[in-house]
Amino acid sequence: MNHDALSAGKQLPLPFLVREGVTFESYLPGPNSELMDVLRCGTEPYVYLWGSTGVGKSHLLQATCRMQPSAAYLSLGALLAYGPEVLDDLEVLDLVCLDDLEQIAGHGIWERALCDLYNRLRDSGAVLRAAGTVPPGALGLTLADLTSRLHWGPVYHVQELDDADKAKALRSKARARGLDLPEDVARYLLRRQPRDNASLFSVLDYLDQASLAAQHRLTVPFVRAVLDRS
Amino acid sequence: MSLLWGKCLDVLEGQLPSQQFNNWIRPLQVLEQDEQLRLLAPNRFVLDWVNEHFLDRILDAVSRFGDGKEWDVVVEIGAARREERPGRALDAVVPHNHRLNAEYTFSTFVEGKSNQMAKAAAFQVGGSAGAAFNPLFIYGGVGLGKTHLMHAVGHLVVQRKPSAKVVCLHSERFVSDMVKAIQQNAINDFKKFYRTADALLIDDIQFFAGKGRSQEEFFHTFNSLVEEQRQVVMTCDRYPKEISGLEDRLKSRFGWGLTVAVEPPELETRVAILQKKGAEMRAVLPNEVAVFVAKRVRSNIRELEGALRRVVANARFTGRPITLESSQDALKDFLAVQDKLVSIENIQKTVAEYYKISVLDLHCNRRTRTITRPRQLAMALAKELTHHSLPEIGDAFGGRDHTTVLHACRKIEELRVEDARIREDFLALFKAITA
Repeated sequence: MNHDALSAGKQLPLPFLVREGVTFESYLPGPNSELMDVLRCGTEPYVYLWGSTGVGKSHLLQATCRMQPSAAYLSLGALLAYGPEVLDDLEVLDLVCLDDLEQIAGHGIWERALCDLYNRLRDSGAVLRAAGTVPPGALGLTLADLTSRLHWGPVYHVQELDDADKAKALRSKARARGLDLPEDVARYLLRRQPRDNASLFSVLDYLDQASLAAQHRLTVPFVRAVLDRS
Repeated sequence: MSLLWGKCLDVLEGQLPSQQFNNWIRPLQVLEQDEQLRLLAPNRFVLDWVNEHFLDRILDAVSRFGDGKEWDVVVEIGAARREERPGRALDAVVPHNHRLNAEYTFSTFVEGKSNQMAKAAAFQVGGSAGAAFNPLFIYGGVGLGKTHLMHAVGHLVVQRKPSAKVVCLHSERFVSDMVKAIQQNAINDFKKFYRTADALLIDDIQFFAGKGRSQEEFFHTFNSLVEEQRQVVMTCDRYPKEISGLEDRLKSRFGWGLTVAVEPPELETRVAILQKKGAEMRAVLPNEVAVFVAKRVRSNIRELEGALRRVVANARFTGRPITLESSQDALKDFLAVQDKLVSIENIQKTVAEYYKISVLDLHCNRRTRTITRPRQLAMALAKELTHHSLPEIGDAFGGRDHTTVLHACRKIEELRVEDARIREDFLALFKAITA
C-alpha cells in the first residue's frame, strides 16, 4: 500500500493501530467450530492444525495461549536463525504452541530438538499445540520419529471461511475498532481484493487509517477511490 | 498469579505485537515476595531475549503499578512449582525418579502376531532381570510399541522387587545429562548413578550415532551393568548392525543378548488396539468403526491413536454418537491426504529406487527374477496400502490382468513367512512409503 495516499486527506492519523485482542471471541470459526471447541476445551494433550497461510492458525494458537497463565507461542520461522536452544526446558510451562512447523523441515538439528521437546512435554503432562501449512505427513521431515509423533493426536484442517463468513468477519473486525463497514462495502472488498483473511484484514487496517485521515465514513465510492490511489 | 504482574501483563499485551508478547512475555512465570518480583524464564535463550528487548518496558510497568514501592525486579532461569498434572509420568510410584510411564504396562499392551515374540521376551526379562536375556534389544519402525514394552519391563522389575533401581530414559537425555555432568565437573556422580542401576532402560539408541564421547561413556556403563548381571533394555529403529555412526564394539555388544523385532500390526491387532484405546477414552466405538479406521490407518500405532482421537473429539463436540458415517466425515481430510501421499506411482517409484531398477521395468514384460520380485512386491504393497481394485493395480503395472496381481500378492505373503530377505525388504519398503 502506498501510505502517501493518505496525505491526500487533510488530517494525518496518529501512528497507533488499535490492537484487537487475539482471542477466541475475535475469531469467526465458520467451518472450524469443532477445532475451536477442542482448543478451548484444552483436554487433548496434543493437537495439530494445518491450512494455508492467512487462514487463522496463528490466531487460534495465540488465543489458546491466552487461556493458560504459563504458556508460550513460538513461531519457528522467526526463530530458525537463533538455534533450537530456544526449545530448552519449555516443559516447565503448562502449554506450548508451535507455529510454522514447515520451516524446520530438513533441519536435522531442529527436528531432533523438536522430537525431544515433544517427549519431554508428554512426560511432564504439558499441553502441545502445533501448526503448519500442510499435514504432518507432508511436511517433508527427515526424522520419522517426529512425523509419527505429530500424528499422535487429532489433526485438523483449518478451512477457509466462505464469502458470507468472510464478510461477517470483516464487519466484526471493523466494529471492534469502532469503524462502520457497511455490508455493500464488505462485498465490494471481497470482489476486488485478494480474498485470504490476512490480505482482507490488512486492507481493513489501511481503510481504517484512510477513513480517519479523511474524516469520511466507509462507502463504496470512498473505498474505491482510496484503493485506486494506493 | 501476582496481582502486580497481572496488571503488568495487561499493559505489555497492549504495547507489544501479539506474537512477541506470547513468545517472550507469556512464558515468564512469576514469584512475588516482599518487594521483590522474580520473573522465571524457562531457558537461557528466553532470559537473554527478555533482558535485551523487554526489560525496560517491564520495569516501567512495574513502577507504574507498584504502588510507589521500590520493587526489585529479577529475571532469571527457573520454574515455579506447579500443581501435579494428572495421568503422566509415574515418578511417585517408583523410587529414584525413573520416569516410567504409568500407561505403559504389560496389561495395556495389545498383543498380536506382529509383536508377540517381543512381548514374550520383554515379559521374561521383566520377571528375571539380568538373568534371562541381557541385553534385550527391541527394534522396529516408529510408533509400533517399542517404548511401551520397555516401560512395561521397568514396571514388572519394580513389581517383583520394589526396591529395585530402574533407570528409564531416552538416549538424548543420557547425552544431555552427560554433557551437564562434564560441565559441572560431576562426571563421577553421573557414572555412579547409571552404573548402580538394577535395570537400565534406554530408548531410541540410534540417536547415539555420531556422538563419540556419549558412545564411549555408554560402552563402559553397558559393560559394567552386564558384567554385574544388571539388566539392560534398549530400543532402536533398526537392527544393531544397521546403525551407521555407531562404534562396531557397541553394535557387537548390543547383539550379545536377545534381539527382537516389532513389526507393523496386522489388521486384527489394529482393531484390538483401537478398541482398547477407545475404552480408555470412555468412548463407545462400534466394531465397524474400529475396522474402518484400522483398514485405513496402517503405518503405526501413534497415527492410529491420532485418528481415533479425532473421531472421538468429533463425536464429543458435535454431540453425535460415533458411527461409520460420522467417522468417515471426521477423517475425510486425513484420508484424502493419505491417499494423495500413498499412490501407486509413489509405491512404484520407491520400489524401483530400492532395487535400483527403473519404473519402466515394473511396467514391462521382462520375467527375470530381478524384475519380477520387485514387481510382485510393488503390487502387494499397492494392494496393502491403497484402495485401488486389483484390475486398477494391474492396469497401473503395464496393463496386467487382475489374476496376475492376485498371484503376486499371494506369492509375497508366502515369501514373507519363508524368506527373511523378502520379509526385511517388505518392511523396509512399507516403512519408506508410509513414513
